[in-house]
Amino acid sequence: MSDQDLVVETVRDILAAHEPFVLTPSRPWDGALWTALAEAGLTGVGLPEEAGGSGGELADAVAVVATLAAGAAAVPVAEQLLVAGPALVTAGLDLPDPAEPLSFAIADGVTAEPSDDGDGPGAFVLQGVSADVAWSGVARRVAVLVQGPPRIGGSVLVLVDAARVAAAPGTNLAGEPTGSLDLDGVSAPGALLTEAQAAVLRARFALARAVQISAALQQVLAWTVQYAGEREQFGRPLGRFQAIQMELAEMAGEVTAVAAIVDAAVQALGRGDDVVLAAAAAKVRAGAAVEVVARLAHQVHGAIGFTQEHKLHHLTRRLWSWRDEAGSELHWSRVLGAGLLAAGPDALWPTLTRVV
Amino acid sequence: MSTPSLTLAPAPPSEAAEQVRAEVRRFLAEELAAGSFTTHVDTWLSGVDPAFSRKLGERGWLGMTWPSRYGGHERTAMERYAVTEELLAAGAPVAAHWIADRQSGPNLLRYGTEAQKATILPRIAAGECYIVIGMSEPDSGSDLASIRTRAARNGDGDWVVNGAKIWTSNAHASHYAITLVRTSPADPSNRHAGLSQLLIDLSTPGITVNPIRILDGGHHFNEVVFTDVVVPADMLLGTEGDGWHQVTAELAFERSGPERFLSTYPLLAEFARRVADSGDPAGVAVLGRLSARLLALRQLSLRIAAALDRGELPNLAAALVKDVGTTFEADVIDEIRRVVEVPASLDSPDPLGRALAEAQLHAPGYTLRGGTNEILRGIVARGLGLR
Ligand SMILES: Cc1cc2nc3c(=O)[nH]c(=O)nc-3n(C[C@H](O)[C@H](O)[C@H](O)COP(=O)(O)OP(=O)(O)OC[C@H]3O[C@@H](n4cnc5c(N)ncnc54)[C@H](O)[C@@H]3O)c2cc1C
Repeated sequence: MSDQDLVVETVRDILAAHEPFVLTPSRPWDGALWTALAEAGLTGVGLPEEAGGSGGELADAVAVVATLAAGAAAVPVAEQLLVAGPALVTAGLDLPDPAEPLSFAIADGVTAEPSDDGDGPGAFVLQGVSADVAWSGVARRVAVLVQGPPRIGGSVLVLVDAARVAAAPGTNLAGEPTGSLDLDGVSAPGALLTEAQAAVLRARFALARAVQISAALQQVLAWTVQYAGEREQFGRPLGRFQAIQMELAEMAGEVTAVAAIVDAAVQALGRGDDVVLAAAAAKVRAGAAVEVVARLAHQVHGAIGFTQEHKLHHLTRRLWSWRDEAGSELHWSRVLGAGLLAAGPDALWPTLTRVV
Repeated sequence: MSTPSLTLAPAPPSEAAEQVRAEVRRFLAEELAAGSFTTHVDTWLSGVDPAFSRKLGERGWLGMTWPSRYGGHERTAMERYAVTEELLAAGAPVAAHWIADRQSGPNLLRYGTEAQKATILPRIAAGECYIVIGMSEPDSGSDLASIRTRAARNGDGDWVVNGAKIWTSNAHASHYAITLVRTSPADPSNRHAGLSQLLIDLSTPGITVNPIRILDGGHHFNEVVFTDVVVPADMLLGTEGDGWHQVTAELAFERSGPERFLSTYPLLAEFARRVADSGDPAGVAVLGRLSARLLALRQLSLRIAAALDRGELPNLAAALVKDVGTTFEADVIDEIRRVVEVPASLDSPDPLGRALAEAQLHAPGYTLRGGTNEILRGIVARGLGLR
């Protein structure tokens, strides 16, 4: 059994005691699940022990995130393990205790001014509102990527103490919190990032969502195949009808293509390659598959899948949301398209073969 | 019911593959500069150029994975992958040898007699011997088990073949047809029994090859009619009665390569040039979207090549690549059309208009050849445990 298999099994055991539920403003996340994961050290997987994490490889962190995504777990684990946590460590900022939920946001409208020398990690005063903050109101701290001071340029990664910031509520299609944080006048520790570092961080966020999407797509396919084998109409299981077989096979094609590119991008990230275009491709491809897979999964499930009682929506609603988060398909299509043309129009093929 | 895992192990980066990729790139740039070929869409159907095929043979880029005693080069599937991919991306004329190198050679290696292998494989590897697939018949397309071309033994033990094959790509410019024939009467209780494969020399008396033109007027397809054609006994391929099994194994080879998503790549490359000139943001986004799909397919296909190197047979994934890949090939046309105002025409002075025309007029073939997408999805459904 590989390390990742072990991690997956541990996460599954914990998940087994936590059924997904309909998120509401009064119950916006699964705090009990989070506590169980934290107690098992799973909220620090892939983060270095010197920084207070649990150690382990990127692949372990990805395995945790994927398993929880497939289980429709309402916890900010992708943000913590794959985006905010590694970003804080890389930027030399203090990693909060992994037992406390940490999230990540990109706020292009927020600016940061150093309140000390501004050289390396230091204190910054922020101005503006950060919209679309995943797990706002739930995460104790949020790492926010904001604009650097005009005379310096670049970006700044700040670590905001969310408990001391005014928040406006908001939710995505799955009911996951995505409110805004009013950062006007807030002071926070932060570090300057170059444009390239900021681009990689944005890409990491997109790839984290793509990892979640890929895992959820695989689960939706498995549920749908299983359902088609059990549900009978006209005296036989749905899966015996050729029209349904075509739909399931189409879903399988999408799911498999996404798994290949997402896995390849994760491997590239693990090797330390420049991962911006690979992450862009993974996010765009994953988003495109959501269209097909969610539509067909609901079609095959019939009316029961359209109800809150049935589990299907826990993943399809998340899929519809995740594809728009961390940069939409349009955004990443443009990044990928422009990146592929950067070396000149005649170099498209050599560039493509280097992406992953 | 359990769903098979759809995650394939990653393809380890191969230095040897990258090296041969660079060599092929250099070769193609020189050939293009010398005007020995011009880039076209879907050249693995339409780009018949024996001189070009021989050049590839001279450089060791055919029969790459075969044993050296049969003229092969004992290289990995990943190295071969890099070569085929580079040729397709450049739109190079590879149709003459394509089927022989991809599928007939491996088929012969697996099932051929020593004499068959010794005489034919080195010639394929040299780019001098071309073989066609004689499977489809006028009344048997998707339902291949219903073929009626029959072969019966004569007094000398040789085979006498009667019947007709259709859609036979490149039969007019090839040397052999690996032909699926019925060697025992149809058995309704076992539709797959009684079929065999014969290696038929296309110059044998009694064979007529009639051209069939495709939508752009090109002659790639044929009808091949067999009238009392005598095929020597030693030209049976594999085992009598085992034809169905042999054909299915052969099709698995056929389905997962880069030709299943790169047939319209030259159009995408031309579109990229246009977008680079115009800077049109909608075009940039379409280029990105299509490239994301291409990159995912490439990963999948590379992983299958790596699995083949490890001796695995990832049939489900191979069927998926062909389904998703050939859909993509046609979508390239539609997506590009939506963001450029260029009339598609084979005689357009604009290379983008020409590429659009070639791609569109070839499009109906992508999702048909090698088994239709509906049939492939049936295979996938079986893999998912639904049938
Ligand atoms: C470019 C090109 C090159 C080719 N080259 C060769 C070659 O070299 N050698 C060779 O032998 N053949 C070749 N073919 C033939 C090809 O393999 C057949 O076209 C293919 O197998 C489909 O058969 P058909 O055209 O008779 O269509 P049909 O089998 O008549 O099918 C027509 C439609 O019905 C659908 N259909 C049929 N049965 C089912 C089913 N059970 N369930 C659901 N849908 C079904 C099909 O998917 C298709 O959409 C080539 C075809 C093309 C387009």
